[in-house]
Amino acid sequence: MTALVRADNLVKHYPVVSGAFRKRVTGSVRAVDGVSFTIARGETLALVGESGCGKSTTGRLLMRLVEPTAGTVRFDNLEISELDSKQLRAARRRMQLVFQDPGSAFNPRMTVASLIAEPMRLAGLSAAARRARVLELLPLVGLAAEHAARYPHEFSGGQRQRIGIARALALQPDFVVCDEPVSALDVSVQAQVINLLTNLQRVFGLTYLFISHDLRVVRHVADRVAVMYLGRIVEIADKVTLYRTPQHPYTRALLSAVPAHRPGAVRSRTEVVGEIASARAVPPGCRYHTRCPAVMPVCRTDDPALVDLGDGHRSACHLVHAVH
Amino acid sequence: MDETPLLSVRDLTVAFDTRRGSFDAIRGVSFDLRPGRTLGVVGESGSGKSVTAMAMMRLLPEAARVTAGQVRFAGRDLRTITERQMRSVRGREIAMVFQDPMASLNPIFTIGHQVMEPLVLQLGLAGSAARARATELLSLVRIPSPAQTMRAYPHELSGGMRQRVMIAIALSCGPKLLIADEPTTALDVTTQAQILELLSDLQHTLHMSVLLITHDLGVVATFADDVLVMYAGRIVERSPVAALFEQPGHPYTEGLLRSMPPLEDDDPEVLPAIEGNVASPFTMPSGCAFHPRCRYAWDACTRILPSLMSVGERHDAACLRHASVTA
Repeated sequence: MTALVRADNLVKHYPVVSGAFRKRVTGSVRAVDGVSFTIARGETLALVGESGCGKSTTGRLLMRLVEPTAGTVRFDNLEISELDSKQLRAARRRMQLVFQDPGSAFNPRMTVASLIAEPMRLAGLSAAARRARVLELLPLVGLAAEHAARYPHEFSGGQRQRIGIARALALQPDFVVCDEPVSALDVSVQAQVINLLTNLQRVFGLTYLFISHDLRVVRHVADRVAVMYLGRIVEIADKVTLYRTPQHPYTRALLSAVPAHRPGAVRSRTEVVGEIASARAVPPGCRYHTRCPAVMPVCRTDDPALVDLGDGHRSACHLVHAVH
Repeated sequence: MDETPLLSVRDLTVAFDTRRGSFDAIRGVSFDLRPGRTLGVVGESGSGKSVTAMAMMRLLPEAARVTAGQVRFAGRDLRTITERQMRSVRGREIAMVFQDPMASLNPIFTIGHQVMEPLVLQLGLAGSAARARATELLSLVRIPSPAQTMRAYPHELSGGMRQRVMIAIALSCGPKLLIADEPTTALDVTTQAQILELLSDLQHTLHMSVLLITHDLGVVATFADDVLVMYAGRIVERSPVAALFEQPGHPYTEGLLRSMPPLEDDDPEVLPAIEGNVASPFTMPSGCAFHPRCRYAWDACTRILPSLMSVGERHDAACLRHASVTA
């Protein structure tokens, strides 16, 4: 299994500036705080967690849409952080992003055809080549040729996401970061877009980083799952292992918080108290200790490492380490 | 248990006037809500679930008007009482909680000020009594340090805490009915679970009725007693929650349930999705509005608008398939 994407100890801290007249840096937001993982070619790694855990920033760091404070990203054989702007532009043709709400990212005065063609135009493809590729892409994402001349406002949310996906695929990327791609869609349309994404992956051998807060969707699309909490991965495993035998108390809490599939299902009370701490004031020791039901003295002082429990299942929890 | 409905809505129809013409946002909506029960209202954006609640409360925007129907609440007709009486109903008997608490809280006043306001204005409590009761309400909604939170401003609280404050304000006058419109949609999953558990506990201890508006079938499965499913401005199915999930009577409900990825069971390779897009009010399909997306549709469905038909005990669905069985 060769890794297409390798993130090593990625860090992104944003300075907090205070003062009305004399601006001073008074602290930092530790949005991403030492994240490492690999994604194999053709694989889907899901990044799950609550708002503010750093999952979207991690996706943008991979593409260097955000400059890392520290750490490296290796994509295929390229050291992304060392590329100059020309090389980076070339590399970005192979890495694309699908957003939560493509409608807000589209220029409302551009037709669907020019929206889909825009990345190709920026990459220097001829008008004829662009037109041909647009006509190829429309049916691939479930749109009709006559949609090409229309404007984004004429489309529903699901169709707009199809346009966003066509645009991401225009330059035949190897790797796509899908950032909450179905969260803004109506429930009856979510499954269509999920099926489209999984089908395109199969046809083109795409590699996905799938960022989501929805554990049902993640279970369906992912091969492996990484759970993030306050800028760190707290658990990572293949999908079956993670859903069947979650080890980190936070993973267990997330799973217990998903509303049941049907009424009367045995449902334990949610195993979680409080809310995610602030990335401006990361708790000492284990970041999760302020909410953890199984907190021990060591958790308040020592930051647990991500330890391998076998078969690539890794978890950062003192309790789990004590058992293993 | 008292089976007289607390709230009874009949044939409620609301029209919107827009530059592109007028259309019915909801048509012929009828349902009952019994005391102490939770009625879930499920539907997608534009299905009319929020319009139904706003019409009941007489809080529709200017472009909208109720063109038909009755709303009976605790023995009164909410459509005909005076605006003054309606204000008292809204303040004391029916409370509302919305998706975005930040939009409902005033950023320049402390939490304490805002929780005390209805206690002073509606219940006529004096300063110190109102303060004591407000602090009590904050601990009722499980805010960890109520006295401290009384002095805080909305921006100093997290989304989950703000929603707890909104619930405290909603409960301040001891309402008989709480309308919760997507109360947890803007919140993270772990916070969502805590807020829903809180609402469900409060409902039992205070014996309130709850109208829970949501797009999330999982939320309904866990917290509702009965369910209305809305599609394109109509109720397409009405059922006790268990029957809805075991034997959905409308193809739309069935489609929604099938397309939800499972959390425990075997995961299908391809999700059984509902094809097509949500009907737009300006291009409403003829006959049954769901027919272009329905896997069971036949020619009659393009002509006939099915009304709700009984498919079980207190279980109705608006689908012609049931007409052919009973006819």
